[in-house]
Amino acid sequence: MKYLFIFGLRFKNYMKKYYYLFFAVFLSFIIFISCSDKGEEYIPVPVSPVTVNLSQVPYPKLSDYHFFEGELKNQIPSLNVLPYEPASSLFSDYAHKKRFVWMPLGTKATFVSDSKVLELPVGAVLIKTFYYENVQNIAPVGGTRIVETRLMIRKDTGWIFANYVWNEAQTDADFDLAGSFTDISWEDENNVIKSTSYRIPTEVQCMICHKNKQVIGPTEIDTYIPIGIKPQNLNFAYTYASGTKNQLTKWVEQGYLDSNFTLPTAENTVINYNDNTRPLELRVRSYLDSNCSHCHAIDRHCDYRPMRFPFNMTGGPNGQTNMGVCVDTEDYSFAPALTKIIKPGNVNRSMLYYRLNTTEESFRMPLHGRTVIHEEGVELIGQWINSLAPCP
Amino acid sequence: MKKITLIITLLFMVQLSKAQDSCASPTAIPGPGTYTVGVINGTAPTLFCADNGAIQQAIPGGEWYIYTPTAAHTVTVSTDITANTPRTDTRVHVYTGTCDALTCFAGDDDAGADYSSVVTFNVTAGTSYIIVFDNRWLDAAHNNGFSFRLTEAPVVVPPTLPVTYNSTSLATINSTFNICVVDVDGDHKDDIVGVSNNNLRVHYQGAGGITTPTDYPVAGTHFMPNWSMAAGDYNRDGKMDFILGAGSGLSVWKSNGTSYTNITPGDYIFCQRTNFADLNDDGNLDIFSCHDIAPNCYYLNGGGTDNALTFYQSNVTPGAMKFGTIGGNYSTLFTDFDNDGDTDVFISKCSGPPCELHRNDGNGVYTDISAIAGINVTPIQTWSSAIGDFDNDGDMDVIITASSGTHKYFRNNLDTTNTTEEAFTNITAGSGWDTNTSTNIDNVTYDFDNDGFLDVLGGGNKIMYNQHNSTFAPVSYPGLMIGAIGDLNDDGFLDILNGSTIRYATPNTNKWIKVALQGVQSNRNGIGARIEIHGAWGIQIRDIRSGEGFEFMSSLNAHFGIGQATTIDQVIIRWPSGLVDTYNNVTPNQRLLVVEGATLAASAFTNGVFSVYPNPTKDVINIQLKDNLSVTLKSAAVYDLMGRVVLTTTDLDRPINVASLATGTYILSITDSNNKNYGQKFVKE
Repeated sequence: MKYLFIFGLRFKNYMKKYYYLFFAVFLSFIIFISCSDKGEEYIPVPVSPVTVNLSQVPYPKLSDYHFFEGELKNQIPSLNVLPYEPASSLFSDYAHKKRFVWMPLGTKATFVSDSKVLELPVGAVLIKTFYYENVQNIAPVGGTRIVETRLMIRKDTGWIFANYVWNEAQTDADFDLAGSFTDISWEDENNVIKSTSYRIPTEVQCMICHKNKQVIGPTEIDTYIPIGIKPQNLNFAYTYASGTKNQLTKWVEQGYLDSNFTLPTAENTVINYNDNTRPLELRVRSYLDSNCSHCHAIDRHCDYRPMRFPFNMTGGPNGQTNMGVCVDTEDYSFAPALTKIIKPGNVNRSMLYYRLNTTEESFRMPLHGRTVIHEEGVELIGQWINSLAPCP
Repeated sequence: MKKITLIITLLFMVQLSKAQDSCASPTAIPGPGTYTVGVINGTAPTLFCADNGAIQQAIPGGEWYIYTPTAAHTVTVSTDITANTPRTDTRVHVYTGTCDALTCFAGDDDAGADYSSVVTFNVTAGTSYIIVFDNRWLDAAHNNGFSFRLTEAPVVVPPTLPVTYNSTSLATINSTFNICVVDVDGDHKDDIVGVSNNNLRVHYQGAGGITTPTDYPVAGTHFMPNWSMAAGDYNRDGKMDFILGAGSGLSVWKSNGTSYTNITPGDYIFCQRTNFADLNDDGNLDIFSCHDIAPNCYYLNGGGTDNALTFYQSNVTPGAMKFGTIGGNYSTLFTDFDNDGDTDVFISKCSGPPCELHRNDGNGVYTDISAIAGINVTPIQTWSSAIGDFDNDGDMDVIITASSGTHKYFRNNLDTTNTTEEAFTNITAGSGWDTNTSTNIDNVTYDFDNDGFLDVLGGGNKIMYNQHNSTFAPVSYPGLMIGAIGDLNDDGFLDILNGSTIRYATPNTNKWIKVALQGVQSNRNGIGARIEIHGAWGIQIRDIRSGEGFEFMSSLNAHFGIGQATTIDQVIIRWPSGLVDTYNNVTPNQRLLVVEGATLAASAFTNGVFSVYPNPTKDVINIQLKDNLSVTLKSAAVYDLMGRVVLTTTDLDRPINVASLATGTYILSITDSNNKNYGQKFVKE
């Protein structure tokens, strides 16, 4: 049946362009099935089981959406639920993440620019599951624990948040936007036991990062927006069940994205900051984009500080200044040692490094979503600071 | 003989090269010159006279020198010299005194190029100065030695500072958070309060100053005061309680006589400034917290014996008071802007919308008058504002002190002869705030030099001194940072606590008065009270606030400088209850303790609910409820005029026996079944 689903999907999307080709394939498929599957007289049109009734969401349970087939905890996407991944990801206390997108039949996203979030149609849902492997404080020890699945649902009035906290049995997840803490201890890839008092966000915390603000006089108008689904972040080959393909191309093929754009150039494409074969500064710019730019950008939560971390603002002639290189710290309440945001060659004198390398609540960055130090990230930033030429 | 001398000399030299390894055996600096410092591996200093606190290397180290000039000079010790190319990231401290009692004399971390150090100080002939370099910034890879140069120059007399500070470190001030200076035990002397996980550490101030610490274990899981701390006696037991404001909620550490209990209500609040304030004027202190990312939150105090806390969020909880409708709330400052006797609320805001001013209209009704007052300017980025009567005209002015961008100074044009709400006037231009480029998240106003005008401590290692004409001028103090403020040696000059360092003000010749309050009908600390002092200067005012600036908790005693004036004509205390105490011809340079109602005539203390007879009395007091009042009196306490409880009872069905009390004046405080307090003065014969 799986073949049929894929076939049906392709057929629908490509019917106009590749009618003849598909017709041929179709014929051979029918013959194949007719020959191999006795008694099958007709082919049902595959229908996605996903249910998103905008007047009823958020549903009480994650399973109510039917985003996944089989056991929910296996996170096997249902028909038309497409997995995706940004090139560089946000650090969330070492949680692993699985991301999916779903759109109603016949609707698609539109391209705005390489650096801007794709404009998704009403009814679209972004799905992001946070989990840990090799968890030490569950039975059996060493198992996987799915903590939460966060949804963003595009209603006609805008995006809403829905969070689902998984039960202990890992059979389903309940709607919960109140926020909570849960202790997680796990053994990492280097056999080091780590732990966190993991923060499941409350709705107002979601809003901080997923916010576009417009200040008109004394009034601030906030709209809520996705973060990761920018062409610059998706412009790389992803391994799907059906094979490897550029994600943007895949979205177009899936019927999820209008094709009236060209893929971002290499210059406009974020890379995986973990890839140490790539240039150091490019990795750092990618890291800062995925971890810092949702607040430190124009019209975002913390745009009153001088840093501008979006990838498209860190590459040009002002790129280093936008990243805080040789820029004075604005605030004197912090240790007087830290008078520069980035002091080339000196991590001890760099505010940005200090704030990434601490867990103290009022100093750590990002303010939300991190309670432990991202050691690999700190090392990357440290390596970069040490590589920078002195301030003029 | 020659050989032996040589050996002795060699031995001496060997000793010399090791000699600077400790305070007890420093290397002598004979005079001006350039000296080489080797790898820093001697005893580490523990008293830091320069910025940036404790040494954080795996093996802290120091190299010690001693310099005893034969004549007075202005001396400079510098590592910003060509011998160090590139410069080394050094730090230097200069002490006087003996090794077991060192006193900071000077110090520097980063005054030179590329974090090298330059420190200049005046020396007197025959005094020994101990100079130590530490490895604060030198990890093993960079700890390779450097040079310093000592130069002597003719004495340059530094300009006279309005007030000077003398720093000392106390190793036992070592809690995770040392951000609170307030009287804890009810003796009205400021103490030092530290918070660590499950431990409250108090350094009480005794007759001789700050004493050894007392620890109070606090059981249970609690938040830490990562963002702010506030203090107030919300359960009226005579000991201070604390709010610990964290990024996911707050905890209350509640005293019960001799121990502390943790209360963590559990509501999600991204706490910024926290405060104790009597929001609904019922005489009980409530708990307030600014919310960074949602509307402000508060807990109403139910009073009584359990002081139950009920959570409300403005614009969210049905029936909640209105303290704004959105997030971006960084600090609240509760003060009376319109001199109507209740506290209004100023909210410093950042990341978009402008600051807010909420007028208290009584009965828990607050009205947003930001636009009428004209303080809603944009763009504005402030985490706290300095609010006080900067021009001593009897109303509270506002300096919206910037965390980013520029400061805004607003004069209050209050005219109480009409019912119009006057707009504030922006008087930033030419005030000194327009040219002050130092920004800070934390800004507070006090009279630091006791000259009778409020100054401002904010960013840039300086105090903005009030020039008495609505302008301000900076005076720099190396390493000065905002901290918890109070009078830690009871000398009438305000001291500043930063971590384990106390920066004691050295008194100048200005006079002062401190006013300490004990409420009876109002809340126990008199939070929200207005204090006026009248004299040759005209008027000065203070409001008692729990939660000034952004993070720290500072003294609840009102502090006034009066310059060179020698008399205070009048001290007036306007209590939140509406009672007014008045003192005439008050002697300066004292701490005046005022128990609510103490100055009122025994017959004039009308609480509106009951009266007592006979008054004066010899043995018993009868309580007479006013007619037609549906009030049930529950319990009574009798205070002397020093604020001490001398008698308590819950039996109000019969006369209160006061026969055992000494002759004198007392205040009877009665609590009703709704936990409201009423006071009545009486005289015992």
